[in-house]
Amino acid sequence: MPVLTVENLSKSYGRIQALRNVSFQVPEGTIFGILGPNGSGKTTTLGTITDILKPTSGSYQLFDKPASAESRRKIGTLLETPNFYHYLSGVKNLEIAAEIKQHGQEDIDRVLEMVDLTRRKDSKFSTYSLGMKQRLAIASCLLGSPSVLIFDEPTNGLDPVGIAEIRELMKRLYREGKTIIMASHLLDEVEKVCTDMAILKRGELIISGKVADILANEDIVEVAASDNKKLFETLSGMRNKSKVVDENSVIKIYFPIGTANLSEVNNYCFNNGIILNHLLLKKKSLEARFLELTNN
Amino acid sequence: MLHLLKIEWLKVKSYKAFWVFTILYSFSILGINYTGFYINELAVQNMPASEMLLGTPYAFPKVWQTVGFMSSWLLYFPGILFIMLFTNEFNFKTHRQNIIDGWTRKEFVTVKFVFAIIFSAVATVFNFLVALLFGLITTGSHFSFAGIENVGYIFIQTVAYITFAMFLAILFRKSGAAIAVFFLYGLIFEWLITALINFQIKLTPIGYFLPLQVTDVMLPIPFGDKVIYKGAPDPWILVVASLVYICAYYFFALKKFTNDDL
Repeated sequence: MPVLTVENLSKSYGRIQALRNVSFQVPEGTIFGILGPNGSGKTTTLGTITDILKPTSGSYQLFDKPASAESRRKIGTLLETPNFYHYLSGVKNLEIAAEIKQHGQEDIDRVLEMVDLTRRKDSKFSTYSLGMKQRLAIASCLLGSPSVLIFDEPTNGLDPVGIAEIRELMKRLYREGKTIIMASHLLDEVEKVCTDMAILKRGELIISGKVADILANEDIVEVAASDNKKLFETLSGMRNKSKVVDENSVIKIYFPIGTANLSEVNNYCFNNGIILNHLLLKKKSLEARFLELTNN
Repeated sequence: MLHLLKIEWLKVKSYKAFWVFTILYSFSILGINYTGFYINELAVQNMPASEMLLGTPYAFPKVWQTVGFMSSWLLYFPGILFIMLFTNEFNFKTHRQNIIDGWTRKEFVTVKFVFAIIFSAVATVFNFLVALLFGLITTGSHFSFAGIENVGYIFIQTVAYITFAMFLAILFRKSGAAIAVFFLYGLIFEWLITALINFQIKLTPIGYFLPLQVTDVMLPIPFGDKVIYKGAPDPWILVVASLVYICAYYFFALKKFTNDDL
């Protein structure tokens, strides 16, 4: 069951189009990274699925059902900045959050301990440092152990130790079977933490899928012929490649980065009596998109 | 709703400004009425003839109306308080977080209005006690429930002022702007507009139907009101008009808050 399904989501602020026909699915039990530079529509996407923003068109579903306040209660969400009552202490802020979520009241001490705020729990929120505010927001997400967590730039404002701790926490939650949806502008962060990802640029979805596929450190050549079985056997004997994978309709040949040569592949097949009807270098174009993206 | 109110209470319970405003407001109600009471006693003592003009404003049954009229000047206190309670949410972005955590947008707006009504009810009870006190200590005054409907007017007027303030808060989102407009409109411009409509364009009583004015006319100055509010409509019409305004503020707030991006 997908935890989140986004279908043709568009959002415009006056003349500025923040999201254009974005569609993707978040499978259960993944750490799903939404990657993109500032202003690419990450927060707009997350704001829409938490009912903070009204989409211009398109729809979304949580837990395979139209979203509702009840489905939001089952998700721990940190959106953009930590939002708390400045004049209340950390623990009182968590009490309010737990009341609204209708669960997790008994959980407050545990989550404060998890983010290392127990000592300062009775201090006013306004006296917290940026990192402490961020950690309180993460604690609030963890109230009642929700099965889905949404983190928008979770390591914002944290020092290197804090960043490492949060990444470790996310991996731990993932191992416990939770689904985590995380927005980040750091390719490095997504690569280190996420299992699945979607890349946004200027409000458009560039790609979504498994991180291993998208960020494969190899060139991938897709080929197909009328007899894929024979093609697969033939390619298995090819030199220079790292591996060959049969994906039914197409066969993927992996090469060490930068060594794929389409004419060589074509020639090799032809010499072995196979006429290709499909030949495509996939990795190159992805990498190009990626550079385009991260250069911003 | 009780659960929503409990959460709303958690928000204000530890908010220092809430208690400062509430305590100041309570003392001011006592204070402004004591001032009125004292001046009246003094005037009558020094110039017994003045009783002909002033009447006995702090004796039963007039005291219910007098206290309502005097206290109405202080309604800017709870008005500002509720503007702050609302704009705080915008400043802290907790209006977003409340929705993210699982409130509906309707719940967020509704509980604020219900809380305002409860606050007004408590303020009304306090005004009732103050009126009772001054009625009893006025010499020659005997307890009477006559004119008790004025206590009901106090309630409606308090709700009307606070919900009008909240309407401004949701409209402007910034406490400074909302408070400035609240003061300027309530203390200056509404009087100007009323005077203009009623006496320049001679459309009496239409000028009495402005949002705050309509409740002020309900609780007029206890002497000379026939001159000041010449041609005022019957109280029940004013009550209906006030209730229409209160409902309109709620539905406007609801519509704005449910349709806009937060």
